[in-house]
Amino acid sequence: MAEEKFDYQYKDPEHGKYRELFYSFDQEGNYNKKVRFHDDADKAFIEQFWDFQIDRIEEARQKVLSGEKSPLYYFMEKTLRDPMTLSSQVGISVWRVKRHFRPNVFKRLSEKTLGKYAETFEVTIEELKKLD
Amino acid sequence: MEPSTIKIDYTHRQAGHCESGTTSNLFQFYGVDISEPMAFGVGNGLYFTYIPFLKIQYAPMISFRNIPNTVFRRGSKRLGANATVIKKFKTPKESMDALDRNLEKGIPTGMQVGVFNLPFFPPEYRMHYNMHNLVIYGKENNHYLVSDTVMEKPQVINYDDLVRVRWVKGAFAPKGKMYWIERVNKEIDFKKAVSDAIAKTVYEMIKIPIPLLGTKGMRFMAKDLRKWPKKHGREKAAFYLGQILRMSEEVGSGGAGFRFIYGAFLKEVGEKFNNQTLTEASEMMGKAANKWREFAYIGARNCKSRSDEPVEDYGKLADMLTEISYMEEAIYKKLDKLSL
Repeated sequence: MAEEKFDYQYKDPEHGKYRELFYSFDQEGNYNKKVRFHDDADKAFIEQFWDFQIDRIEEARQKVLSGEKSPLYYFMEKTLRDPMTLSSQVGISVWRVKRHFRPNVFKRLSEKTLGKYAETFEVTIEELKKLD
Repeated sequence: MEPSTIKIDYTHRQAGHCESGTTSNLFQFYGVDISEPMAFGVGNGLYFTYIPFLKIQYAPMISFRNIPNTVFRRGSKRLGANATVIKKFKTPKESMDALDRNLEKGIPTGMQVGVFNLPFFPPEYRMHYNMHNLVIYGKENNHYLVSDTVMEKPQVINYDDLVRVRWVKGAFAPKGKMYWIERVNKEIDFKKAVSDAIAKTVYEMIKIPIPLLGTKGMRFMAKDLRKWPKKHGREKAAFYLGQILRMSEEVGSGGAGFRFIYGAFLKEVGEKFNNQTLTEASEMMGKAANKWREFAYIGARNCKSRSDEPVEDYGKLADMLTEISYMEEAIYKKLDKLSL
């Protein structure tokens, strides 16, 4: 079988490099397996998803810079988490996690709580307190 | 000190879905020819659930497959294999030692891992998803040999990374969960296995009286889909739609939310038992799957453009989804009358 040409332009150059196995059903009633790259439709959802994430990360950065949110919020978005994921990984309730997004609450957090967040984000506590 | 290099003669085959691929590969290792669709069908892989109030990555939760480990657990049980699933490890060290012991005995071992820190995984799927499955079939010094059915080729992973993905925290945390087959039964009672499995899938798809599950769930989602543009605005509606489609077409589903794989299973068993009902059902499932695919193609147009007017009407997409749900319902009703 000839090597399939790969000619999509993804926004992220690391995307779309892998071929996956897909099934299909043809007119004669047979099921076929094919190893292929993403097709146009697949590409549309992937790009949309990443566009959305990138927008969120940038928005979060702006919010932190303007003092509306604490750096935790940015780190959460940057690592593609949502409050629920973050909460379950840090072991702090969603309600408290969301409260920690408020800059004045964040400032008063104990070393222990900060340590938990730092461990989850794999950064030091100092890094957690400022944007990179 | 034990030898540092172990390589089990395990054949890696790429598959559409991680868990059924893993199960099928493990059975093939023990000399029982179970194809991926067969593993998927007998293990009750097919499912549908839509949970609008539970948001995953800012979109309503939707799943086309059963909860993790169902395929392996139910599949190996129905196919008469002695399988072990361990999910009670206290420490990472303990789970890794158990893995090493298995490898020394020559047992390829499946495990549940998180995708986010998996180094070789395609970056477009990088997310906090903890229900991925892979098989470890060897060890070279500090590296483990990995058969991940999403990938074309076998991979390697080092000790620390493997500990990280096995002990990822969060929803459905694997906690080092691993599973393997000890003994297979060469004389499998396929008739009983298949009819039990189909009866269970039929039950799960049309008989559970909860509106969010099975074909009822599809219609529930169609109803919501119609309202999204008004309720959430055009951008969010497109994002929600994109997430549904991404779940159905991507994320290791083999296309059309596993409907192709299930159809292939129906065809395989239809030919095996020379059963007209199954063959017809497989044809119907193929058509429904193609309709899912069409739904994805049309829906994708809405995801692509960022204009204020949606390219395709959400009402039309909802109608399509409703139609698919009735197409599928007809299949399950047909299968309900199946006698083998």
